[in-house]
Amino acid sequence: MGKTNFTPEESLLLILKTIEQTKNRFKESGHIFVYWGTLTLIVFGSQLILSLLELYKFTMWPVYLFPLSAFYMIYIWIREKKKNLPKTYIENVLGNLGWIFGMNLMIMGFFCSDKLGDAMAPVFIILFALFIVVCGLSIKFKPLIIGGILTNLIGLGSFFIERNYHGYSIMLMAVVGLIIPGILLNIARRKDHV
Amino acid sequence: MFKDLDPILHSQLRLSIVSILMSIHEANFNFIKDETKATSGNLSIQIKKLQDVGYIKVRKTFKNNYPNTSLSITKKGIEAFESYVNSLKNYINPK
Repeated sequence: MGKTNFTPEESLLLILKTIEQTKNRFKESGHIFVYWGTLTLIVFGSQLILSLLELYKFTMWPVYLFPLSAFYMIYIWIREKKKNLPKTYIENVLGNLGWIFGMNLMIMGFFCSDKLGDAMAPVFIILFALFIVVCGLSIKFKPLIIGGILTNLIGLGSFFIERNYHGYSIMLMAVVGLIIPGILLNIARRKDHV
Repeated sequence: MFKDLDPILHSQLRLSIVSILMSIHEANFNFIKDETKATSGNLSIQIKKLQDVGYIKVRKTFKNNYPNTSLSITKKGIEAFESYVNSLKNYINPK
């Protein structure tokens, strides 16, 4: 390893190999997208079922799964931090962006819903779209970029539909923008094609 | 004719260390050791050389009562690496 008389070609090859090898160890997985997508689907699906059963006073209950999940994420984050594993620049940026995004969404959802009114769901979906597109572009993964663009369209389209149907938009967003790209990312990671 | 290659970076182990740090925000000593498969002694020497020229930053802390050495690349290190890669490109494809 201490060799200094290697050719420029060998040197470039070493750089490429090292960077590639290091990045491969830290390829982003799609679990986080599948997790939040499934949770969103469960929360809004449950709300829809409760509404159909006319159990209106319980419709807010499933929403509390979001802060509970946020606490679970904090627990995972502390556990990972203790392992002292290195992070790539992208992981670092996306991790911080995820926290800021999630906190804002939570605050907006619980404390600003009356101010946002009918625009709440479309705004949420568009914010999600931005996050998904940024993630897709950062890790150069097309299904996430496409998922983000479709989410953006769902968000814009939601401005033109009645508030009663916004739950469907959010569920569609969860499937198109989070669950499907997340599953594809997991498959790609396994195949080592990302 | 060609720009001289940076002698600090033109060593396999030092180049590997810098290449790893180019793609990672911060890495600890053991991680670099695993990735490069170098011995602790040799790795320490090369890290010291890179630190002395200001290419990397070394942070020594304690984690659960064990010493923990974290390494990260500096702005000077990034510039040196980029310049080194450009020099290599010139060697391989001279205009």
